[in-house]
Amino acid sequence: MIRTLRAFFLSRLLREKLLLGTFVLIAALIWASSLFGRVGRLTREARSTTLALKDQSMWLTNRTTIEEAARKATSKLTPDQTVDDTRLLSEVNAMASEAGLRKTNISEPQDVSNGQIAIHTLQLGITQADWSSVVAFYVAVRARAPYIGIEKFAANGNRTNPLLLDINMSISSVEIVRN
Amino acid sequence: MCASPFKFLSAGPPPPRVVLLRDALFFSRAVPVLATATAAEVSAQAGLALEAISPFPLAQLYYGLFWVPGSERALVFASYRRRFTVEQTEAWPAAEWVVPAFASVLGSAVAPATTIVLSSPDGLTAVHWEQGPVPSLVLHRPLAPEATDEDRLHLRAELLRAVGESRAIVDLAEPPAALPSHSDKEVVFKSGGFEATLPTSLMDGLDVRDRDELAMLRRARKRDLVLWRAAIGCVAACGVFALGELALMGAGLWQKARVLNMTAQSPLVGRIMEDQRLAGRIDDLATKRLYPLEMLTVVLSKKPAEVQLLRATTTDLDHLKVDAQTTNSGQISGFISALQAAPECAKVDIPDQRAHDNLATFTLIITFKPGALKPMPPPATS
Repeated sequence: MIRTLRAFFLSRLLREKLLLGTFVLIAALIWASSLFGRVGRLTREARSTTLALKDQSMWLTNRTTIEEAARKATSKLTPDQTVDDTRLLSEVNAMASEAGLRKTNISEPQDVSNGQIAIHTLQLGITQADWSSVVAFYVAVRARAPYIGIEKFAANGNRTNPLLLDINMSISSVEIVRN
Repeated sequence: MCASPFKFLSAGPPPPRVVLLRDALFFSRAVPVLATATAAEVSAQAGLALEAISPFPLAQLYYGLFWVPGSERALVFASYRRRFTVEQTEAWPAAEWVVPAFASVLGSAVAPATTIVLSSPDGLTAVHWEQGPVPSLVLHRPLAPEATDEDRLHLRAELLRAVGESRAIVDLAEPPAALPSHSDKEVVFKSGGFEATLPTSLMDGLDVRDRDELAMLRRARKRDLVLWRAAIGCVAACGVFALGELALMGAGLWQKARVLNMTAQSPLVGRIMEDQRLAGRIDDLATKRLYPLEMLTVVLSKKPAEVQLLRATTTDLDHLKVDAQTTNSGQISGFISALQAAPECAKVDIPDQRAHDNLATFTLIITFKPGALKPMPPPATS
């Protein structure tokens, strides 16, 4: 077959040979470019999948240990004293009022849960607070540990009255979800 | 080319394009040569022999020679160029070889003292071998178109007498024709049961065309072969790419299966990761408490009077970032030294410091020793 094709090719005029050769070369180049592009993409995808699968495998291997750690962490808590999102909002509001903080702004709690345990986090903004009120609030929150705790804290000097503070806090509570 | 590509491919390659010229147009001689001579030496010797025996200069002849390496004889043959019309030579450039008809039997394996008698419409040609692969004599006798079979037999007997004693005589009713070849290295001629095989290197020597034209045609043939090889290389590459496509398809399916597996595992892994994060956060809430006011108290206790704190932010459990300003920049270093000397502080970094209109602003990152901060006592109730 190849000799038949060869004889056919060699019997063509020079311009036809050149044209045929060029067509085949262009076809091969286009195909090579497309194929190598797709091979490259697949290789990158395969590498990324391999890494992800390795990562998943590591988590699955440590599953028992992690679940045990989560159980241990939960076992330190008394379910009745854990605080849901509504209670967190009301308790923080009450503690701020009791501490004498008037200008407060509390955001809606954001929840993270795995079905058994939930962590609720709200943002508390306090403006024009005096130091002693802040300390009173801080001590009140600290007394509710480990069910309620401060995770982030930022204090600014008030612009109009340098003796007062503007404060922003992230306050979180932990809840053992009862099914 | 056939109507159907399949039929075209299955038909096999065409025979090589060999133009067989009438023997009547050529005269031939066997020239003795040295057995140890090279092809170039034999070619030069043949040229000299032709010049000696021909009434025309070499440039006015179409000539060729048949010599097998190691042989002590070469057969040279030539024809006056003007015996060929333009119409006759028109087809020559397209041919691979142009040789006298008797050349088609030169590749036959013959015993010593063998004569092959070639019959053609215009006469009879006898090719006689005494010894070795090169014929010792080639004789042609013309025959009138109106000659009978008896005349032909007569002429044959006369030819055989002229060539001398022959132990074997092979009669060919018509000159052998080239067969489709499966190799580039040889050309096979066949006539009835008779077969002769000539290597292409010897065929090149038999070619009677002008030597310059031949050299040009051979260059063109080489160029065409390069083009063919390049084209076939591209086709082969396409074949490899086709295999690559199959491999890619297989690899794609494998990858798809892995992605499905990964997607299936994803919710479970996500839950484990969430468990880990929650366990960490519960642990942090229970054991690792943030002491922002205690950190601030330490900083305030070391702050010089002319330094004003603008902002204090906890970055994690042990770090406090403080932005401050002062009109007395000399106090910054004292402030840092005092903080570094505090038992609760591990280190103090000052990543940013600038001054404008006699007011210096700076940022401190204070690292506290883990567990060094003590919870502040509750405020005294009145």
